[in-house]
Amino acid sequence: MSEAPILSVEDLAVGFTGPDGRRTRAVDGVSFSVAPGRTLGIVGESGCGKSVTSLAVMGLLPRTGTSVTGRVLFDGRDLLTESERTLRDLRGDRLAMIFQEPMTSLNPSYTIGDQIVEAIVRHRAVGKREAAERAVEMLARVRIPEPARRFHDYPHRLSGGMRQRVMIAMALACEPRLLIADEPTTALDVTIQAQILDLMRALREETGTAVVLITHDLGVVAEVCDDVAVMYAGQVVERAPVEELFRFPQHPYTVGLLGSLPRFDRARGRLAAIEGTVPDMSRPPAGCRFAARCPFRITRCETMPDLVEIGGDRATRCWRAPLEELAA
Amino acid sequence: MKPLASSPAPVLEAHDLVKHFVAERTLLGRTTASVKAVDGVSLAVHAGETLALVGESGCGKSTLGRMVLRLVEPTSGRIVVDGADVTHARERDLRGLRRTAQIVFQDPFASLNPRMTVGEILAEPLMLHAIVPPAQRAARVAELLAGVGLNPRQAARFPHEFSGGQRQRIVIARALAVEPKVIVCDEPVSALDVSIRAQILNLLEDLQARLGLAYVFISHDLGVVRHIADRVCVMYLGRIVETGTTDEIFDNPRHPYTRALLSAIPAPSPLARRERRLLEGDVPSPLAPPSGCHLRTRCPHAEPVCAEARPPLAAVSPTHASACLFATRLPDARDLAPREPARDPRLETLFAAFAGDDEAAAAQAAAQ
Repeated sequence: MSEAPILSVEDLAVGFTGPDGRRTRAVDGVSFSVAPGRTLGIVGESGCGKSVTSLAVMGLLPRTGTSVTGRVLFDGRDLLTESERTLRDLRGDRLAMIFQEPMTSLNPSYTIGDQIVEAIVRHRAVGKREAAERAVEMLARVRIPEPARRFHDYPHRLSGGMRQRVMIAMALACEPRLLIADEPTTALDVTIQAQILDLMRALREETGTAVVLITHDLGVVAEVCDDVAVMYAGQVVERAPVEELFRFPQHPYTVGLLGSLPRFDRARGRLAAIEGTVPDMSRPPAGCRFAARCPFRITRCETMPDLVEIGGDRATRCWRAPLEELAA
Repeated sequence: MKPLASSPAPVLEAHDLVKHFVAERTLLGRTTASVKAVDGVSLAVHAGETLALVGESGCGKSTLGRMVLRLVEPTSGRIVVDGADVTHARERDLRGLRRTAQIVFQDPFASLNPRMTVGEILAEPLMLHAIVPPAQRAARVAELLAGVGLNPRQAARFPHEFSGGQRQRIVIARALAVEPKVIVCDEPVSALDVSIRAQILNLLEDLQARLGLAYVFISHDLGVVRHIADRVCVMYLGRIVETGTTDEIFDNPRHPYTRALLSAIPAPSPLARRERRLLEGDVPSPLAPPSGCHLRTRCPHAEPVCAEARPPLAAVSPTHASACLFATRLPDARDLAPREPARDPRLETLFAAFAGDDEAAAAQAAAQ
């Protein structure tokens, strides 16, 4: 982690006010950073706030009924204080995003070539012809066969995997410094997922783009990430380099997540299951938010622990860390 | 656990099942194109056994699962459930089949009537099939809820008051209401979060051990399949390309498609990242699959002979068969599926603290 981070999120909090006036804190005091050429995985289950975090970074949350506080430093500027106009110039240029569902992210009425050209022309002072050349080059780069012919295809002519390749080509067309990928392979079949993950890994090496990968799948994290932030109920509960996280997690929630993965070494036997459900975020508990489901809770867990640095680029939000001692 | 060839008759058998869906018709209704969604598939499941059907979108696994329950009418073939041929059973005779064989779908949100309470949802099959006398229905509903780790006092609630994992428990309780012998589970955990997925998989295994249920487990997730299945059928474009015990499929795959699937499984840890051998390109259109072996256009081992005829599912061992002409000549492939990395024994101790049992789950549900 020698290089200065391209993105650093500090104490980000997002609250929504519903039509009934009820306030929900979707994201609460989230901090993380990612350096050029690194991939940060943000992992967590439905409703943990991982997607809201990424939308807040991109400035894509609705303005009404939403409060966003904290700092989102991108390339030295705080995006939360920038105008919508500046953000529009940044998005698709130095800041790009791809989503889970490639069909709904592409306009069905335009050819994929036209859509990539549009993205390039919007941000670069180039003519249509030059942009078209660049678009074909990008299609080739994401390993789409016969790119010059595919350029003229409409999205419905492409399979799910090919569409996600087109989305990646479009996102990378302007050589972004940061790519946010929100569940990019979740809608794809396993063999296609593997192709896309391999592609993302190769492209990161070729371009040096920093990547924030949002996922619920620890397998995807294991395959492509350098660093991981684990989110639970709107907070980062653990942060670590990927090997360290898998070697010995330092938050009980991460332990439960890892233990609930089916094993390859013993076919049968009970999986670790995190019993219960996530807390209601309009009335989050005052103490540790995982305590109600945690087998290691103690009285102290009734007060909220901070996310504390524990050395080796790691941090955890647990009173009981280091967890190795619990096993003694 | 694993029944041998000499074990009693299977609870569910399918012989050479075929399903064609019409894709295009002329103005007068004559079929001009059809998809062979299931193209000559046979299988058998025994009591207490889990048979997994795996494959990617469009391979026909869900159609097959629905067909054995007569939810989709077969074009040809034979279905035998609990010794009775139900292939041509009429609608009113299907009630017996519904008592023996049930289904659990992927989406627990779409599978429950939002206007009925959970108690009503569970009482309905008890009433339809006259499982218990009316006076005992409420008690039976409570038993069913407790049996899947839910609080019996929640019977008066509506489905929207439950989380996804709890709804899937309700769906499972409803399937169990008629005391079936076999349950087709169609991607039962795919819509659930990882930690909830583990709860449901544990529940399915507990129920199987307790009730001797047979499962036909349809899934695209090979990690889950490795965990839960006794035997596996791998499907590609409507056909079974390989079948065997779970160990045979994962440790000694004898079909190039199985190998590609195993190779695509994400590693369980960054310490277990491995070289991958992936297939090129996408699945061909099921409207016009390649002649002979359907995989040959993407297969690294294909030879001209593969285009000539459909390769038969040929035995590799008494329990293992592959539809590849070169099944026995394929190179060794023991390292395709991910290996579990060596774990710190202290971490295993922590995992064990999470490996709760159903009583714990029920206690938790009661506390809510």
